[in-house]
Amino acid sequence: MACGTDFIERGTMSWFCCGGSWGPCGPAGGGACGGCQSGSLHAAWPNASAACFDITRPDRCGKSLPRRGCGTVLHVTNRCNGQCTRVAIRDCGPRTQSFCGQNCCGGTCGSGRIIDLTPAAFSAIASLSAGVRPCRVDD
Amino acid sequence: MEALDRRKVLTGAVLGGAALVGATAFGSVEAAHAHESSQSLDDALDPNFVDGRITAINGMTLTVIGLQNLLTQIRITDATSVWKLRPTTLKSVDVGDGLYARGARMADGSLAADAVWVNIVNLHAELTSIGRGVLHLRYGHGQLRGHVVPGTTSAVYGDEPATADLSRLRVGSHIQFIGAWRPDTDDVDIATIFAVS
Repeated sequence: MACGTDFIERGTMSWFCCGGSWGPCGPAGGGACGGCQSGSLHAAWPNASAACFDITRPDRCGKSLPRRGCGTVLHVTNRCNGQCTRVAIRDCGPRTQSFCGQNCCGGTCGSGRIIDLTPAAFSAIASLSAGVRPCRVDD
Repeated sequence: MEALDRRKVLTGAVLGGAALVGATAFGSVEAAHAHESSQSLDDALDPNFVDGRITAINGMTLTVIGLQNLLTQIRITDATSVWKLRPTTLKSVDVGDGLYARGARMADGSLAADAVWVNIVNLHAELTSIGRGVLHLRYGHGQLRGHVVPGTTSAVYGDEPATADLSRLRVGSHIQFIGAWRPDTDDVDIATIFAVS
């Protein structure tokens, strides 16, 4: 079961820190859009702009992700358990071309990193210690 | 479990009314949040999530200082899952540790924790050299040492099952890893490596 209205893509998701607090995340800034915070329901999207796409190149993993700019709300579903959260785009990423590999949980697999979530958003639908999970993204 | 039911149980656990609820009653954290978040998507912090460093531990309560020096009390219950490099208990948690916590916000402003992840990091880095029991890594904000912990560190190659065999890692390759930051040295103990191209 997924939330949202219009299917965009299936792949994998992970998490990233932003807005800086402790440890290696301390120097992390507010993301390409500004205002990104680990404690908010934010996300990084590989096609947040043309310049962003040139870096992330999801097409090299066979992903045709549409342009969705800063502030756009997306719905992300953890395909391992069907749980869903809403997020707002606040950063460019992940660098999909570096993550063409597959990740599975039980019998459910996803291939190609298509979105990264803040710890607040990821932990709403998955355990942070899982690191990577198959997902689907909807508008 | 519906979110409202879950909140009731967590609230009861903190107040002592559900002391017999064990961790297995909730299943995994992933199975716990079967609802779409209703939080605002503006820049407000998620009220059911805390990010900060531990400044005090009193019994089953952690005091955490977060952004803007905001103090939050984190209530640990028998149902709370605790991760610090591996699933563990509150005894492994120290003042000065960093923390992410998810749970239910209580009326007094504290957080009844469903799960806490202590010192957890998720980094993408270039493997610059491999030593005995340590990986030297370059990542976005600098360099760090990643310690291999026997019996804990594992690697996931593509869609293969996790393995303790790290021999397929190559200098110059990029990896993603989940680990636990060491506040005293800024090193990281490695839990899981996701080997990517």
